[in-house]
Amino acid sequence: MKSKTSLPVSYRLAVTSRVLAAVVGGYLMASLASICLALWLPTSRADAVIVGMMSSFVFYLLAVLWCFACRTAGRAWLGVMAPCVLFATLAGVGWWVARP
Amino acid sequence: MLVALLMCYAGFTALCLSTDRHHGELLHSKPSPRRRLGLRAAGWLLLTVSIWPAVVIAGWGQGLVQWCAVLMLSALLLVLLLPYRPRLAMNLAGIGLLACPVAAVATL
Amino acid sequence: MKEGFRQAMAWLHTWVGLIFGWLLFAIFLTGTLSYFKDEITHWMQPEVQVHGVDDARSLAVAQAYLERQAPTAARWFITLPDSRDPGLSVMWQDKVDPGKRGNFIQKVLDPVSGQPVQVRESMGGEFFYRFHFQLQMPHPWGRWLSTFAAMVMFVALITGIITHKKIFKDFFTFRPRKGQRSWLDGHNAVGVLVLPFHLMITYSSLVIFMSMVMPAPIVASYGDDTRAFFSEVFPATDNAPALGQPGKLLPLGPMYAQARQQWAGGHVGRVAVNNPGDVNASVNVFRAGSDSVVHDFGSIVSFNGTTGEQVRVSGEPSLPAVIGGSFYGLHMGHFAGPVLRWLYFICGLAGTAMIGSGLVIWLGKRQLKHVKSGVMPFELKLVEVLNIASMSGLMIAIAAFFWANRLLPVSVAERSAWEVQVFFIAWGLSLLHAMLRRGRQGWVEQLSVGALLFVAVPLLNAITTSEHLGVSLARGDWAMAGFDLTCLGSGVFLAWAAWKMQRRAALPSKAEGVPSLKLKPEAH
Repeated sequence: MKSKTSLPVSYRLAVTSRVLAAVVGGYLMASLASICLALWLPTSRADAVIVGMMSSFVFYLLAVLWCFACRTAGRAWLGVMAPCVLFATLAGVGWWVARP
Repeated sequence: MLVALLMCYAGFTALCLSTDRHHGELLHSKPSPRRRLGLRAAGWLLLTVSIWPAVVIAGWGQGLVQWCAVLMLSALLLVLLLPYRPRLAMNLAGIGLLACPVAAVATL
Repeated sequence: MKEGFRQAMAWLHTWVGLIFGWLLFAIFLTGTLSYFKDEITHWMQPEVQVHGVDDARSLAVAQAYLERQAPTAARWFITLPDSRDPGLSVMWQDKVDPGKRGNFIQKVLDPVSGQPVQVRESMGGEFFYRFHFQLQMPHPWGRWLSTFAAMVMFVALITGIITHKKIFKDFFTFRPRKGQRSWLDGHNAVGVLVLPFHLMITYSSLVIFMSMVMPAPIVASYGDDTRAFFSEVFPATDNAPALGQPGKLLPLGPMYAQARQQWAGGHVGRVAVNNPGDVNASVNVFRAGSDSVVHDFGSIVSFNGTTGEQVRVSGEPSLPAVIGGSFYGLHMGHFAGPVLRWLYFICGLAGTAMIGSGLVIWLGKRQLKHVKSGVMPFELKLVEVLNIASMSGLMIAIAAFFWANRLLPVSVAERSAWEVQVFFIAWGLSLLHAMLRRGRQGWVEQLSVGALLFVAVPLLNAITTSEHLGVSLARGDWAMAGFDLTCLGSGVFLAWAAWKMQRRAALPSKAEGVPSLKLKPEAH
């Protein structure tokens, strides 16, 4: 990977961007997905929360893989934030529906 | 666990032999399609059936865990033995298979 | 990452593997040792003898002791002796102002005399257990870091699987004596063949701390009342608060018996008493983890401490609770008998070897490019130093920990803290050594020191105690003998590794010059 000349700054920035998208964006997406599951699953409250938490790590994994598999850093962010918006909306609806 | 171990080891050996590369290394010939199929079937059969002796003694919970552990260990044993003592690796499978009924009577 | 999916995954695997490899190696090795933590503690506190005292007697003795020593404590814990841990241990937490965590004090009692055993103060195997998820960092930072490392491990495993194109074709392939190729074959072998274990152990470690690292759904679902969630899932935490009025705690024996009856003969792991001197004292009898693979957080029988009435009937756990409990139980391996426990240990070592070989391969591949010039860039030197210190250095530290246990005088103040200090001092010294004596020299010297320290453990044991191999084997004390023998075996292994390293150094024309053409350029 190392060559005689150092890697360009733009490359390093792109990698950093992807890392942030994966670590921070991925965590956000995993959290929102787990909230959705917790609010929408037809089981008891505690069970829904447990399922949400246990499955969150798979969402995190998918986000991380996406961030490094996609073609540009921009796409990384898009690919993570779009599901975030979707999950947030679903969660919002779920919360509003469940209000007493 | 012993019976399951012997069966898993034999099963993995069969699967190993069913590949061109390892059959060539161990038996110095290319396996015929019939033999390859036979070895594959025997291998998978042994691996699947080996669940039974594990579960029948220890129940489904502990039994499945023991079977998994024995599965991994037998594969590891075979792969580490193969490059150093290929003859022994194969003979162990044969001996193990023959010893299965004895082990079964002793432990089940 | 224009190269394609597999290439991108290979890049990710290589880099997260490197950056977190050193930490993960330490976590895996200490975690693997933890499967034998009771046996390690037994070796490190040989004064604790096995007694054939029944549980009822032990419980009574423990209760009497705690009533004398810690009547005003916030909580008591009584752990009864079992087949792996012969000690009757009691622990109590000081009562402090609400919101603060009181100190925990632990003692091992002699169930015959009712007095604390005069045992050398030591953390024993608990040190490795706690280190592998707390990393000697203040609460809760260590747990956050180790759980983050677990997530990285998960990524590394999955990207490794994706990258390994010939995962089925090369399933049985291991070609020794071929330099870098052998290392890669080995890395793949311990990775793929033991994959079920690696995936289980990694994902379960995430599940174990999921309430801490992924609290979002709890808050979303329970809002302000997150306590309700924990009370539901972990009924042991849902105890009646102290009323501030004194009360007399009933004998624990009948409660123990009633709990066992509830479990149709199941075993008791721990008895916890909350607010023992209070009228609202509560007693939780925990089922032994060894009873089942699935850890049932609800299998507790709870009593009112002063009236003796059973307060809570534990119901059947739901499917999600069973799944969560399975992850927990599988990770801990409490249910494992001796043979299965050794298999857990071997699988753990395989995981450790997978990580270690990965680190060696990372460096080896890049070192080949600089063989001609003979000078390594700074980054590679750094990786080399960290490789040596994190692997052979850690093993030296572990051996030093055992040596400190036998050599530190029994009456030294803060003795158990000193044992831990020795561990870290030895690790630090090995880091220093690696910086000064880089390359093969560093490896050979550290592996040799490690070999010496481990091989000499049985000898050290014989000189400093009366529990040497001759005695322990004759008595059938397999924990004590097993420890000595395993140290001996480890020392022999390290000596062999040192010898191999030394031989390679003496024949520079081999291996180093082997063309890297054999290796597919799978990663940058």
